[in-house]
Amino acid sequence: MKRVFGQYKALLFAVCTLPIYAVASPLTINLPAETIVLRPSDLPGYVVAQQKCGICHSADYIEYQPPGFNQKQWTGLARKMKESYGAPLSESDVGLVGEYLAATYSGKPAVESKPAIKAIEVASNTVDKPAVVDVKTLLDQNACLGCHAIDRKVVGPAYHDVAMHYKGNAQAISQVIDHISHGGSGRWGEIPMPPFPGLQPAELKQLADFVLAQ
Amino acid sequence: MSTDNGNTIKRRVFLQGASLVAAGLAFKPLRSQAAETEAQDFANGTRELVAYPQKRPLMRITARPPHLETPFSVFNESVLTPNDAFFVRYHLANIPASIDADNYQLQIKGLVDKPLALSLSELKALGKTVEVVAVNQCSGNSRGYGSPRVFGAQLGNGSVGNARWTGIPLKAVLEHAGVQAGAKQVTFRGLDHPVLPTTPEFVKALGIDLALSDEPMIAWAMNATDIPFLNGYPIKLIVPGYFGTYWVKHLSEIEVIDHTFEGYFMEKAYRVPDNDCQCVPPGTVPDKTRPIGKLKVRSFITSLQPGDKVNVNEPVTLKGFAFDGGHGIQSVEVSEDGGRHWQLAVLGESLGNYSFREWTLQWQPREKGKVGLQVRAKGGQGEQQPVKALWNPSIYVKNNIETTPVTVV
Ligand code: HEC
Ligand code: HEC
Repeated sequence: MKRVFGQYKALLFAVCTLPIYAVASPLTINLPAETIVLRPSDLPGYVVAQQKCGICHSADYIEYQPPGFNQKQWTGLARKMKESYGAPLSESDVGLVGEYLAATYSGKPAVESKPAIKAIEVASNTVDKPAVVDVKTLLDQNACLGCHAIDRKVVGPAYHDVAMHYKGNAQAISQVIDHISHGGSGRWGEIPMPPFPGLQPAELKQLADFVLAQ
Repeated sequence: MSTDNGNTIKRRVFLQGASLVAAGLAFKPLRSQAAETEAQDFANGTRELVAYPQKRPLMRITARPPHLETPFSVFNESVLTPNDAFFVRYHLANIPASIDADNYQLQIKGLVDKPLALSLSELKALGKTVEVVAVNQCSGNSRGYGSPRVFGAQLGNGSVGNARWTGIPLKAVLEHAGVQAGAKQVTFRGLDHPVLPTTPEFVKALGIDLALSDEPMIAWAMNATDIPFLNGYPIKLIVPGYFGTYWVKHLSEIEVIDHTFEGYFMEKAYRVPDNDCQCVPPGTVPDKTRPIGKLKVRSFITSLQPGDKVNVNEPVTLKGFAFDGGHGIQSVEVSEDGGRHWQLAVLGESLGNYSFREWTLQWQPREKGKVGLQVRAKGGQGEQQPVKALWNPSIYVKNNIETTPVTVV
């Protein structure tokens, strides 16, 4: 069965306006784009949340929780994601995300938060840096395969499609390294790819090589 | 709506860019495109109105998976909720983007004499087509109005709808497969799956007696047309009188089992305190829980929205709906004086015991000022709504008497 996070295009409106009986079998839907992103913060948990909290659902789930929950409650929520739903979070991730959510979603307006760039600097100093490891471990540790598969679109594009896209492009390696490190959206769809500021240059190169070889 | 004077609490705001402040909370995340929103009277209750496939703009709870709530004004349009306004609820984001009804298959397996893999035309040919008008309500409908607030989908009152369902009794399909001795429960799953393999599948279970009773149905039509994709096209389990969590969408597999199903969405989620009121003192944890079950009696005013203005000494027709878990509504009453006196409303045509029941009442406001209009219903077995909201840790089955604050001018 195909995944749903497809090309969020104007096709949606075509579907909307068709009389229902005129819809030919098979019935296909295109969902509107996500509009809610995580509130920026300079806490290290922001980077972890960007990497881990967008795998299974959009950020509106977090945005619409009521104000006033404390850090214990938000940490409990993060732990529930890990224990009940199998979110790939380490114990330290749970703590960092809990701290970030409590500080950012306590009810204060989001605009008071600092821009994301600082978080990246902080995080790159706090995220554990494993000694050089094989690419499989890198993919696991960073939950890349929560959002990507080799041969089909999940939350992000299939690695095979990425490799095809860059075929013959001399700048491929440096561009892909840059995109993994800094994340971003709009190249494949509306859902953002989270930044991975904690990855070392050698690790980024390993990952980019792997993706481009698919 | 019978009044179109300015209304203060419930309002639609046109938002532009990122510079908006709604309900005291800044919504950082909007982009350049404008989004219409609907405000609700609880903290952080403003939602974007977004049009999804086959739907008019509805209140977006989550984009991925799609989770949409019906703006409450829709319920004043008709007793049957239009398909394009019916709420949408998925738990897991790996949902199909395309469904081919011609190649669709429903499997029946487990403790049966004859496992089946039915096409839609085979399913339809298995027995007599039946019809029921029934309410589908989310277990957590109105959670946002609860206190103290809890984590979960932050729903207003619009995660409910009433539709005419057409299909075949579940019983007919199970009997065709031949349920064997020792059957204890029947499980149901659809085409919605987790994103990661570590997340539990969404599987629901009914006791064998309920599964073999007359009411549960496998439906292929909703209000006389195909079920909208996001409501479970092409077939959906209908369990009249029971909360929506059991109404499995894109139904694809039915299994008869000889034990109590232990999956996450039965054993851990969708549970209520195991006592009569399904409640505990606010903020506390129940000793014992059980899977959520039947709808409790509820009633609403739809013709006036909170904050509306009405003119003194001008008669107004109040209108709304009531429903219960399937015994039919006995009576609906309205109070304008904080519950000291209650006036009996006139019930509309009955579409069956599982349906919304429309009610109307002529009301003549006699004094200027603020009035809290309260409405309460009595269910078919004499069941009444509590004055004060009962509470449980997930804020399920909320059904207290609702108050609509209006101003007489
Ligand atoms: C492995 C998948 C997965 C990941 C990763 C994940 N979640 Fe969830 N989350 C879920 C599921 C499943 C639900 C429940 C969906 C439902 O019932 O509609 C949920 C629900 C929620 C809710 C709603 C409240 C509740 O208790 O149901 C919030 C808030 C939330 N997640 C926040 C987060 C945060 C913060 C993170 C990052 C730490 C995260 N999620 C990561 C699967 C995940
Ligand atoms: C939370 C989900 C998520 C996670 C986790 C994730 N990605 Fe992505 N990734 C995306 C999305 C979404 C896109 C598409 C972004 C866009 O449209 O620009 C993407 C795009 C990419 C691309 C294509 C970039 C390009 O140049 O076009 C590569 C390569 C990639 N990801 C690699 C990785 C690697 C390696 C990891 C782990 C270190 C990872 N991703 C983790 C969601 C994710």
